[in-house]
This record gives sequence, structure tokens and C-alpha cells, in this order.
Amino acid sequence: MAGVFVYSDKSGIALELVGCAKAAGKEAMVIVFSQEAAEEVKNSGADRVFILQGDNEVPENYAQAVADFLKEKSAELFLVGATARGRDLAARVAGYLDCPMASDVSAISFGDGKVTTERMIYGGAVTQKEELTGLSVVTVAGGKYAPIEGSAEVETVTVTPDNRVQLVERAPVERKGVNLQAADRVVCVGMGVEKEEDMQMIRDLAAVLNAEIGCTRGIAEEKHWLPPEQYIGISGAVIKPQLCVSIGISGQVQHTIGIRDSKVIVAVNNNEKAPIFKTCDYGIVGDLYEVVPLLIEELKK
Amino acid sequence: MSKIVACYKWVLDESDIRINSDLSVDFSKAKGKISDYDRNAIEAAVKLAEAVGAKPVGLTFGSSKARQSLKDALSRGLEEAFWVKAEEAENADGAVTARALAAGIKAMGDVALVICAEGASDTYARQTASRIGALLDLPVVTSVLRVTVEGNTVTAVRKLDDCLETVKFELPGVISVLPEAFQPTIPGLKAVMAAGKKPVTEYDCGSLGVNLVSARKVMEVKAYAQERRNIIIEGDNAAAKVAAVVSNLKKEGVL
Repeated sequence: MAGVFVYSDKSGIALELVGCAKAAGKEAMVIVFSQEAAEEVKNSGADRVFILQGDNEVPENYAQAVADFLKEKSAELFLVGATARGRDLAARVAGYLDCPMASDVSAISFGDGKVTTERMIYGGAVTQKEELTGLSVVTVAGGKYAPIEGSAEVETVTVTPDNRVQLVERAPVERKGVNLQAADRVVCVGMGVEKEEDMQMIRDLAAVLNAEIGCTRGIAEEKHWLPPEQYIGISGAVIKPQLCVSIGISGQVQHTIGIRDSKVIVAVNNNEKAPIFKTCDYGIVGDLYEVVPLLIEELKK
Repeated sequence: MSKIVACYKWVLDESDIRINSDLSVDFSKAKGKISDYDRNAIEAAVKLAEAVGAKPVGLTFGSSKARQSLKDALSRGLEEAFWVKAEEAENADGAVTARALAAGIKAMGDVALVICAEGASDTYARQTASRIGALLDLPVVTSVLRVTVEGNTVTAVRKLDDCLETVKFELPGVISVLPEAFQPTIPGLKAVMAAGKKPVTEYDCGSLGVNLVSARKVMEVKAYAQERRNIIIEGDNAAAKVAAVVSNLKKEGVL
């Protein structure tokens, strides 16, 4: 059984990856680790769903079992959703197989015994096209491919997980009501804001725009003015709103990679040489303490 | 004394990269640096080693250019540096990098814990910790936000997409730490002076038997093309500039 084997700890992404493989005319098999997960992907249009059953609650602990299974099935590609868990499992499987892997790709195409991928390097400033030969591992973020429908046969295979890493507890991360990924408008704030109390002005701007608030890594991780879920960039959230208003952000690529899927980007910065002006549609060079109140006033009209 | 190993990579500074008008990329002016996130891994190794009485050491896989990194790494509190050398390191993929680092870990011996950052600031592929763990068949814990070591037991809190997950394992093992887990300190003059006197061990990839052949081929490297209008509203009157932007946004249908 050659073909593409798909895994994601988020069923929604697994469905998309099946769509990706089938659109390329490949056989698609989904790997899951529980009956519940199998239920969520059995109408994915995959050719088969395999439950790798073992007595461990941490998916990453099945890496060796997955690697052995892929070899046994003569898989051509292990296609994995690029979540924290997915990336870890994928890289461990690649390690056990000692095979090539492309992480977080933006494009994938299938050739004869090869896959060609594109991914970003240097914080998003540069794209690199790579060709992987033989059994390979690729991770892809959610939201890139359309799911399809169709029932799949489910087969259970008993495997032995690695029990050396033991789960102690899981605590859900409390989301504070901000869903940046789904937001239509986002006001994004950076280190140009001088004091924490000035964040009120940003909240006022967001309110008049009916926008969510995002920030740079510095605001979340150094200043702690906003929770880490709200920082936007290569290691944070990636947004795709209709409108992104960038306030006091210099525009380093590590941040702009997170906003560049926005339809329209407006930037306010007092430094005319700031790189943000190269990544925006409309730019105002000026003091944010003068511009933001004027912007609020104008938008109220 | 057992070792806690911080793996790090000597990378080109992305802020020195120039993009040519044909979207080709000019790396010729780019200086090297220790990958930003790897400084967190070094800090983690130093702090954990101090807590448990282990020896914090650095390990890099690099070409001859990585020689510059050794003093920098040692000035950050590591007591010894290990360097797996190969010119092929400059274009190595995740598979080759992990093989070389795993070989270095085996060669230095007596390793309790291997610490990597989440990803390198050039490729940000986030593979190394997991691959090293697989190659050495050690337990792996990634995305670590907090970690403690008591006796032989490591307890780590992982920050995942939707939860905090606490796990534990017995040493030896491999972890990757998140950037926010350990804030690197800037080395003082004394630390920089002392770094030059600390021991460095060089390993040759050939004598370690590292397979440098990869099944990944780089086909093309080019700049990301931005398709933005880049309209900078000119003028001295801030209110007029704001009004012009708002009027444009209305025309775009995004207000």
C-alpha cells in the first residue's frame, strides 16, 4: 500500500490533508490513536483509517510505532498537521526513519517517488523550494486545503507505544475571548507604545473599528501588556483579516510573516525608514500619539 | 560529573540579508550569530546544571565559520564547548544535522540531558530535538515552558496549542525549550574574558562516522514577493493624512 499517510491531532486539519492528497490523485490513509478520533475522520474521503491502538495518551509517544507502520505499508509520504504535537511526532518519525522532512510548507507537489515543497526561511524573508526523495515527512498548517467527503473503512492495529514519558496532567489554556485567526479586523500594536496606560488608546481604536487586538512578541513577552496568545508572528498567531492596522511596529520579518495574509495593511510609525512601510498598503509617517487619536475621531464620523 | 548539553547553531543574521530587484538573495554581507532562540537553550542548560550540580556544555555542528561561535557560547556560562566540524554543515538539512549532533553527544559521553531551542532563526524547522531523541532512542519532550530536575526525574510543563501538559521522564533525555522559558543574560566583560580559557573539543565528522548524504535537495532560494501598494500618505497635516487613509479604506471596502 503506497500512498500518503495523514496525521493530525486536530481532526479538522487531518480532513484537509486528506483533501490535499486526494486532489493530487494519491491514495490517502489516516492514522489516529483512538476510536474517538477515528469517528471524526471516517467520513473524510480517505481510502482507509488506521487506529494505532496502544495504552498511552500522548500521541508523540507513538513515533516509533508510526515509523515501523509506515515502513511496513511502504508509505511514500507522512503528511502531518503543523501543530505543536504534530511537528514533534513528525520529526520523531523522521528521526526513526532517518528520512528527509520539510516543516511547515506553504506548497507541496507530488512527483515520481519525490515530493517538492516550498517553505519560508529567514523569518519569512526568503522562500526555499526543496525536493525530497523516497519516504518523506512533511508538515502543513491548517487552512490550506479543502476537505472532501466519503466514507472510509476503519482498521485497528495494536501497537506498543513508548511509555518513558508519562502524562502527569493536562490543563486547558484559558482563552480570553480573543480569536485573532478568525477576526475580520485587527489592530496590531508594537514597542512604539511607551507606557502600559497608553494601551487604552489602542483599545479605543480597536473598539471604534470593531477589531481584535494583536501585538508583537515584545509587547507580550517582554512588557507582558497582553497575553502570549495575542502576539502575532512566526512563533505566534498568523492572521488573515480584511484589515490590519499596525501601530508603532517597526516590521521585522519575524512579525510581518504573521500579518502578510491580511487583505489591507495600514501602518503608523514615526520612522520613515521602518521596514513596516515596505509591507503595508497605506502608511502614515508620524507620531502615534498624534495619529491614533485623530484616527479614532475620523473613524467615529 | 554528568553533562547537560545545549545544542546551538551558528547562523547568518537575517537582518543583514539583502534582497535584489530580481528577488535573488544576497547573503554576502551577512554576519554570523548564535541563533537567537539557541541562547535560551544555553541559558536553560546553565540554569539547570547549576540546580542539579551537572556540567553545562555547548554542542554545535558547523563549518569552519562556526569557530567564531565558540567563545560567544562559552561566555554565556557553558564550561566546555564541543564542535562537530564539516563544511557540509552550511547546507545541511534536519536529518544530517541531527545525525551530527547525535554523534557528538555519543562521543562526549556521560550526557544526562540534551537541550535544544524550539527552532533555529534561519530555517525554523523545529526538528532537531525530536530527531536527536529518535536517533539516540531517548525520551523527548518538546515545547517546554517550565522544567525541574529532581534526582533522575525531569518534570516539564509543555505549552501546546490548546493546553498546558505536565509530563515526567527519567534521565537521560532530550527537551526543547520555548523562547519564553529562559531569558538569556548578556555576558559581562569578565565572562567574555574567561571564555577564551575554557576547553574546546573538535570532532571531525569523518572520524565520528557521520553520514552527510541527504535525500533532500534545495531547488531554489528566492525572496518572498510582497504584493503591497506601499502608498505612504505625505504631508505635514496629520489630520489630513488620517482622513486620506480612512477614505482609501472605505474605497477598499474594509471599513
